[in-house]
Amino acid sequence: MSQRVVAFLFFAALIAVVLVPPPLAAQTANAVKSWTPPKTADGVPDLQGVYSNATTVPLERPKNLGSKEFYTEQETAEKAKADAAAAAARAARDADPNTVHYDLGQFGLDQRVTAVSNRTSQVIGSEGTIPPLLPEAQARIAAKNAAMRGHNFDDVQHRSLSERCIMWPNEGPPMLSPGYNSDLQIVQGPGYVAIMQEMIHDTRIIPTDGRPHLPENIRVLMGDSRGHWEGNTLVIDTTNFTDRTAFRNSGENLHVIERLTRTSDKTLLYQFTVDDPKTWAKPWSAEVTWVGINNPIYEYACQEGNYGLPNILSGQRAAEKEQANAAK
Amino acid sequence: MRAMSALLIAGAALLTGLPAWAHHAFAQEFDEKRPIKLQGTVTKWEVINPHSWIHLDVKGPDGKVTSWMIEGGSPNALFRQGFTKDSLPTGSEIVVEGFQAKDGSTRGVGSNVVFKDGRKLFLSNNTPGQNGAAAPEN
Amino acid sequence: MQTRFHPFMPAAALAALALAGFPALGQQAQAPYRAPRTADGKPNLNGIWQAMNNANWDLEGHAAGMPAKEVVGILGAQFATPPDLGVVDGGSIPYLPAALQKRKDNFASRVKLDPEVKCYMPGVPRATYMPYPFQIVQSTQNVMFVYEYAGSVRVVNMAAPTKAPADSWMGWSNGKWDGESLVVDVTSQIEDTWFDRSGDYHSDALHVVERYTPRSPDTMMYEATIEDPKVFSRPWKISMPLYRHVEKNAQLMEFKCVEFAEEVLYGHLRKPGTDPYTSTNPNK
Repeated sequence: MSQRVVAFLFFAALIAVVLVPPPLAAQTANAVKSWTPPKTADGVPDLQGVYSNATTVPLERPKNLGSKEFYTEQETAEKAKADAAAAAARAARDADPNTVHYDLGQFGLDQRVTAVSNRTSQVIGSEGTIPPLLPEAQARIAAKNAAMRGHNFDDVQHRSLSERCIMWPNEGPPMLSPGYNSDLQIVQGPGYVAIMQEMIHDTRIIPTDGRPHLPENIRVLMGDSRGHWEGNTLVIDTTNFTDRTAFRNSGENLHVIERLTRTSDKTLLYQFTVDDPKTWAKPWSAEVTWVGINNPIYEYACQEGNYGLPNILSGQRAAEKEQANAAK
Repeated sequence: MRAMSALLIAGAALLTGLPAWAHHAFAQEFDEKRPIKLQGTVTKWEVINPHSWIHLDVKGPDGKVTSWMIEGGSPNALFRQGFTKDSLPTGSEIVVEGFQAKDGSTRGVGSNVVFKDGRKLFLSNNTPGQNGAAAPEN
Repeated sequence: MQTRFHPFMPAAALAALALAGFPALGQQAQAPYRAPRTADGKPNLNGIWQAMNNANWDLEGHAAGMPAKEVVGILGAQFATPPDLGVVDGGSIPYLPAALQKRKDNFASRVKLDPEVKCYMPGVPRATYMPYPFQIVQSTQNVMFVYEYAGSVRVVNMAAPTKAPADSWMGWSNGKWDGESLVVDVTSQIEDTWFDRSGDYHSDALHVVERYTPRSPDTMMYEATIEDPKVFSRPWKISMPLYRHVEKNAQLMEFKCVEFAEEVLYGHLRKPGTDPYTSTNPNK
């Protein structure tokens, strides 16, 4: 398999290999019927495994689709072909010798394992888009951007959390696909569910013993998570975010509710609802199916190998010097 | 609501999720006005994240040897395909096309890196299952 | 517990005592502790644990010592090396003669060179005895160790052993059960980690074998055998108890130390005229 995969770097047509799925009854957004998931030795649903959360479904619905939440089977197949063509076109664009880039395909970072879905967007519902920002949120963001303007390369503190290897936006919660290395591992012990995301090696340890959240004054970048079981679903409630987390421009009142349900031996359904009354007028929800993969998680040590950040600042200081010399 | 069948896609697929470059201001680090084409010998392959780095010695026309380091991608997907730290041995002769660092140092990003004979890197006959890495499932 | 032999003790009573398993006179014996089992029948190591010693400052036994010259005038007693009886079996680490000089050089420049200052992941065994808690999440197929410091993590593979494709900061761990002990074989660690704040170090040939053995409901013995023929003349061993966090609602907290290391790493690259405390980074 690997050789076939390798032969299809860049310009490949899409190859879909049908995994014989267990016959799934119609799924609702909130429950999966007629399939009993296995349990751990402790008697709770077994969500364990290593998964890819890569997806071809965009987070928000393309405008031209309006309120269409699902593609037909034929449309799904056509979209898969269109996706492949778009990917090839983008790869060709990226190979433009005048663009500063490295070759994603060379490192296999354009290969992924995904569950194909007939959804038109990860955001569910007739709108399929994230609600507009409230005026107070827009003002908040405008103020942030104004303060940053002209200072973006002053020092490391003005760079993004991801460039600084502090936290990557895919980690959330909610956990989104990062575009490559889209891998997570779930390990369960009595009273806990641990979720490790490969990028950037952060591990959420979620207690399911009913304890309260941290006190309000303790705020952390990835929030504070508490879980409980509802039937076969793990429900995770996360609060205590900092105002620097800024998931989709939200603030410290961000509140995330996630649901994880095993839907087959190889798939988990991941659903989340996000609310922040100071950012959006109403909560919004999305879902993605994760697919089990046969590899372990490999260490993604970020800080330790972060040559990029000092190079960026050094590049800027050099450019400033050049400008200063030119002005003389 | 519709039933979903789980299909595995191998091969290039449309990236959704965050753009691959999003974490990294390439334009600030490397200079599109300083394209480079180097031929040299690999002295070290740093198999690290967030980017791997190929170190190579480049002999100039005057015989002087300069050390370069060339930025590449995260190696984790290579591991999943069965490649290891030994997949680019020291002493390999490679040709790098790319862009040099903005600060003029002997650093660059490799937009196209091949062996001297023109073969692309990491397209060897490594089989899945080596070193414990399994292939993506069929 | 001792039983006094009384010449007039009724034989039946003596027999009863013997059957009860009380040790005979003069002997003190204790059955090895048998930890409660997980639902799949293995010793249950789940929980939040922490070492209670100063091994992270210096593995070898030592008296209290002066802070590094770079900080002594600012941090004073707060950054002195606190005393410790040491955790090294036999007392001292068996460096090869040339390697010992490098240890001394490391010590002299420890504040500049210690990867802990840069928030780099500490590797194994140092992650175990950093002065912060870690959590074991144990399932049949995997035992996950999550360390509060820098969000370091490693998953111990409990199935058939596998090999690492490359070196990593937390190494590659294959584990198995040996009676009451979890035995973890750790290879492929990057050479850049230290064992402590005093410059004890290793090469890329490092091989560590750990044993986690419950000794009571809330304590565990931790042993690590360290082998590195490029640096040491023979394998050597450290051992220490680990203590369970028993307070209600104990949890690991987020300790993303990268931003605390940034001035050390990148302060020299800031735009002249700016400083980190007035740096107006309102975002990201």
